[in-house]
Amino acid sequence: MHATIQKPINEIVRHIQPGERVFVVGCNNCAWKCHSGGEDETRMMAKRLSDRGIEVSGYTVPGPQGMSLCKLSHTRKVLMEEYADQVNASDSFLILGCGQGVHTVIDATDGGMVHPGCDTIFGGETVSDTEIEEFCSLCGDCIIEFTGGLCPMTLCAKQLLNGPCGGAENGHCEVDPDRPCGWILIYDRLKKLGRLDLLDPYQPAKNNSKWSRPRTLKVSPTEATFCSAGGSVTVSNQD
Amino acid sequence: MKLTTLFDKGEFVITGEVGPIKGAIHRDKSIEPSCAIEALQLQQHVHAVNVTDNQSAVMRLGSLAASVRLKTNGIEPVYQLTCRDRNRLALQSDLLTAYSLGIDNVLLLTGDHIQLGDHKEAKPVFDLDSVQLIEMAKGLKRGYDISGNRIENYLDMAFGAVVNPNFDPIDLQVMKMKKKIDAGAQFFQTQAVYDVKMFEAFMNKAQQFNCPIQVGVVILKSPQMGRFMNKNVSGIHVPKDWIDEIGSVDKQDRKKKAAEMAGRFIEETKAMVQGVHIMPLGWTDIVPDILEHAHVN
Repeated sequence: MHATIQKPINEIVRHIQPGERVFVVGCNNCAWKCHSGGEDETRMMAKRLSDRGIEVSGYTVPGPQGMSLCKLSHTRKVLMEEYADQVNASDSFLILGCGQGVHTVIDATDGGMVHPGCDTIFGGETVSDTEIEEFCSLCGDCIIEFTGGLCPMTLCAKQLLNGPCGGAENGHCEVDPDRPCGWILIYDRLKKLGRLDLLDPYQPAKNNSKWSRPRTLKVSPTEATFCSAGGSVTVSNQD
Repeated sequence: MKLTTLFDKGEFVITGEVGPIKGAIHRDKSIEPSCAIEALQLQQHVHAVNVTDNQSAVMRLGSLAASVRLKTNGIEPVYQLTCRDRNRLALQSDLLTAYSLGIDNVLLLTGDHIQLGDHKEAKPVFDLDSVQLIEMAKGLKRGYDISGNRIENYLDMAFGAVVNPNFDPIDLQVMKMKKKIDAGAQFFQTQAVYDVKMFEAFMNKAQQFNCPIQVGVVILKSPQMGRFMNKNVSGIHVPKDWIDEIGSVDKQDRKKKAAEMAGRFIEETKAMVQGVHIMPLGWTDIVPDILEHAHVN
């Protein structure tokens, strides 16, 4: 999921011009889990804006719960059909969701003016109702087969691939003493699994061309194609 | 001169360390930067002097410029190069530049994280890790860049690396040490060590590689410094008895005591290693005393 956190209200308000009519859009998936743009937060945002003298033309969180704002066909249907009158009466959209959701609203509204209401901070695991933690950096060149599924690109502050630096103290990272050293986590896990041998191979330098921006994925029921500056890779899910 | 030549001859290799100034070298060549003055003080007592690379992620004069200054003054530099601030293009280019400017020894390391330094909002690079950096440097020695392109006039430098004997679990650090040797590391300088028994346990594991190791010594100047390092410098542990001992004498006697303590430590560990790397942190004037106490001068 994409972890998001709302921007401070003063920052949001600062970018709305006098007389601008704003339609607020939330997300019923990731932002709902982050309490940054679910039903409650979206309704509340409409009120918070109104309380500050901003004209809110309407609000919605395309549902049902679990539905992602970034599913373009659904968002377009909701905004351009179900909320057509309010959308047509709006000058801009405040999106309480991730950056993908912001772009989805641009596409859904044929280029409408948007304001991001959140900062998109990382891709994470919803560990509990109150905690979201980052375990993957979306680099496109995954090596966690060698690390027991724990990503050194994410868990190691220096993104080292061949083992730890010398900076750990009492098992904790030199950058943040409250955080465990990612490589010690990897080591302890592989030791427990009896697979320390996985650490032996030299891990070559990362192919950063797979981490180029922007990237695309073309999907079908039988195969997918990942396109980056590193080239185009098609993989079948059938053979 | 490459340090590997000395190790091959069985010399006990002594290196010191200086940190480049926060500023530029004066255009007036008669004005030496403080790092060059410190290196001149060390010159008669060590084989070479490390020059740190934006140490602790604090922005300073480039390690290469300071290394070249030392070389010009007749002091053998060990040019330190970290992965923190450069991607693979810059690292290779800097290695070729260093060789072209006469540098014979390079210490290849990861580098302290930007969060520890004075530019916390900078983008950490870490395009490569230290093992990959060494592997890449080996390629330049063999005539290829990391993308497989041929280069002309291969570099020929001694490649040093670092290891931290204080690391727990030590097996994980030794695993990485082996990877560095496989990649092309020719000698090691350790992180600062104070505990002889702990160092011995590390050496029992590291000796199998038959790769020269210099034990790392940071001069303990005061009990406050010991406590500060324990609290703020990751990967170093100053035992209580060291802190108590340096604190047992008055301030004016600390240099004498520090030399005695560091010298004693080197004497106790020298049989296990092929050299010592002394990090004086400004107290370069006591290095001769340290070596005398250690009976290695």
